[in-house]
Amino acid sequence: MKPPIFITIMLTVISGTMIVMTTSHWLMVWIGFEMNLLAVIPILMKKYNPRATEAATKYFLTQATASMLLMMGIIINLLHSGQWTVSKDLNPMASIMMTIALAMKLGLAPFHFWVPEVTQGISMSSGLILLTWQKIAPLSILYQISPTINPSLLLTMAIMSVMVGGWGGLNQTQLRKIMAYSSIAHMGWMAAIMMYSPTMMILNLTIYIIMTLTTFMLFMHNSTTTTSSLSQTWNKTPLITSFILVLMMSLGGLPPLSGFIPKWMIIQGLTKNEMIMMPTLLAMTALLNLYFYMRLTYTTALTMFPSNNCMKMKWRFECTEKTTFLPPLIVMSTMLLPLAPMLSILD
Amino acid sequence: MLKIIVPTAMLMPMTWLSKPNMIWINSTTYSLLISLISLSYLNQLGDNSLNLSLLFFSDSLSAPLLVLTTWLLPLMLMASQSHLSKETLSRKKLYITMLIILQLLLIMTFTATELIMFYILFEATLIPTLIIITRWGNQTERLNAGLYFLFYTLMGSLPLLVALLYIQNTTGTLNFLVIQYWAKPISATWSNIFLWLACMMAFMVKMPLYGLHLWLPKAHVEAPIAGSMVLAAVLLKLGGYGMMRITILLNPATNQMAYPFMMLSLWGMVMTSSICLRQTDLKSLIAYSSVSHMALVIVAVLIQTPWSYMGATALMIAHGLTSSMLFCLANSNYERVHSRTMILARGLQTILPLMAAWWLLASLANLALPPTINLIGELFVVVASFSWSNMTIVLMGTNIIITALYTLYMLTTTQRGKYTHHIKNINPSFTRENALMALHLLPLLLLSLNPKIVLG
Repeated sequence: MKPPIFITIMLTVISGTMIVMTTSHWLMVWIGFEMNLLAVIPILMKKYNPRATEAATKYFLTQATASMLLMMGIIINLLHSGQWTVSKDLNPMASIMMTIALAMKLGLAPFHFWVPEVTQGISMSSGLILLTWQKIAPLSILYQISPTINPSLLLTMAIMSVMVGGWGGLNQTQLRKIMAYSSIAHMGWMAAIMMYSPTMMILNLTIYIIMTLTTFMLFMHNSTTTTSSLSQTWNKTPLITSFILVLMMSLGGLPPLSGFIPKWMIIQGLTKNEMIMMPTLLAMTALLNLYFYMRLTYTTALTMFPSNNCMKMKWRFECTEKTTFLPPLIVMSTMLLPLAPMLSILD
Repeated sequence: MLKIIVPTAMLMPMTWLSKPNMIWINSTTYSLLISLISLSYLNQLGDNSLNLSLLFFSDSLSAPLLVLTTWLLPLMLMASQSHLSKETLSRKKLYITMLIILQLLLIMTFTATELIMFYILFEATLIPTLIIITRWGNQTERLNAGLYFLFYTLMGSLPLLVALLYIQNTTGTLNFLVIQYWAKPISATWSNIFLWLACMMAFMVKMPLYGLHLWLPKAHVEAPIAGSMVLAAVLLKLGGYGMMRITILLNPATNQMAYPFMMLSLWGMVMTSSICLRQTDLKSLIAYSSVSHMALVIVAVLIQTPWSYMGATALMIAHGLTSSMLFCLANSNYERVHSRTMILARGLQTILPLMAAWWLLASLANLALPPTINLIGELFVVVASFSWSNMTIVLMGTNIIITALYTLYMLTTTQRGKYTHHIKNINPSFTRENALMALHLLPLLLLSLNPKIVLG
């Protein structure tokens, strides 16, 4: 699309999220969400085909419903407290409605059904924005209302999300759907710690965004969208094969890579609060996630020529997408663990 | 400890910057030098441990394992030279780098003070091993083998993370030196039973315990030679080392909790030894014999007497060297015949007599011939378990006999008898291979002169 239009739309998306994050009036929160939604629709439809139209429509419908639920929660809060300020003491009914609305926006189970289909229908770079930037605004509101959230609702959503993200991703070969299920699972981890330590949720979000950004950029650099086309990476850009290997292991949460930091901190936070079975359950279902990441690394990096590789060779096009900041992002996605003692400044 | 860690880390740039014909020479030489540095840690004072820094320490349990680890790296590099000779230069360097990273992580694991750091490095050793097995293994089953290896170990060790964090909350610290004195005795209530299970299952899978050993034959058989060597010699000992460290925190629940695992180990010992008698695949035979020897170590650690700990330590070191040597011998067969089936390469004594001498010595060490430290380890464990319960001696004795049986079966099948007609034109033994076997055997024989070093 033409540059001025693109800039306008991007600015609207960014300012929508910024409004949500910085405002203290509930109506402005809703306005920010709507701005964000309306401006992101053209971005989702960058490649104009029926699949993208369908994806954008699904996204619009679910997010609009969620915004309406959010508005209802805001009005209930107005009814019971008489003021529009974003604060910590919410009416429980309003809190439940807002949590459900924000869970729909984030793609937490059982409201996750739109995530794989929308992510699959759009282009890689739009998918990148969908899975990273769009999570910031809802999580910032959840951060602000976190003391009042109903714990059982939140924990149910967390466990269901991790399970859905794990089992759902097992049968996928399309990379965008795999990243969508990975996003659902990571949102589950974030929801789990939200009640006890919202700071850890922000930590998890930060590291998740860095890793997902890096993953999408590597996929865009390769212009691959399926697992089988990833297996040609050793031929096109051999350096990326080792990066994808390490990055997938980091996404799976294997020590000593950075992906382990959020999992460790979340398990530590949960055990400090006397919950033992839940972090065990979360950790075990994260192994399902690790399985399909491992499948990706197998096809990419671990079964290279001259061993069997049943894929026809592809044309080697030059990469046209801008992948700025890729080296520092890769370093941050994999080597942050020695800096983990710095997390003590958060206490 | 940094004087070992930093040189090992610097081996990596050295590999990447060496000239093509010098990579093997450089890495082998300098890793041998590093192993000589680590020998100084064997000089332990009294019954106190060498507290070297806040993060790293070494005591009489970890020092022999540290020396074993550093000694194995040059041996692994020597063993890998021939099967990597046809790869491109950067892949050779990548393989050596993987081995060096694994070595670095293992050194840090054996000398870690804090249990969470031990956990992180314990898990971290999985990644280079997985890459070595899956990328450089030889058959298509290696993909499955890598997955089994990774997921079995991770399933066991994720509850360990939760348990360690729980212990940190209740006891206040996980620093190993402090927690020896602060550990509260735990009885066998239900929640403590789960805590015990969570702590121990990771190491049971790693050892491996008989019911959870399914990953081991797959991983050992599919791995390339350096992968098999490091798996058998060191990674299994990680499980034993971890078990010995963590049982300090788990008394006296261990008295009740140990029963199922003792039974599994004792029975599994006999079972896996018996399976060895019917194996056709040479590496698979050695892999099952590893399970059998490690079951002895599990029994020793669960009994928790001073003699059994001494026996377990000696057995770990002895088995590390012996098993690694047997894998090297099997690999020398594999490189010539390109098959692991035992009966395809028979009667080697007439064709490769010096190699037959190494086969004989390795087999004698494996069946715990006096005065090797294999015997000392097994004897201590058998005696300690006899004092724990008289009936165990039946199973232990059966195991010793069956061990002798399958070891001699392996020896006579590969070495004695008439050779098959198709192996007349195999390469003679290279000096590198003879040096490899000698370097494995020499520490083993020297330790029989002074076993006090490894008795912990």
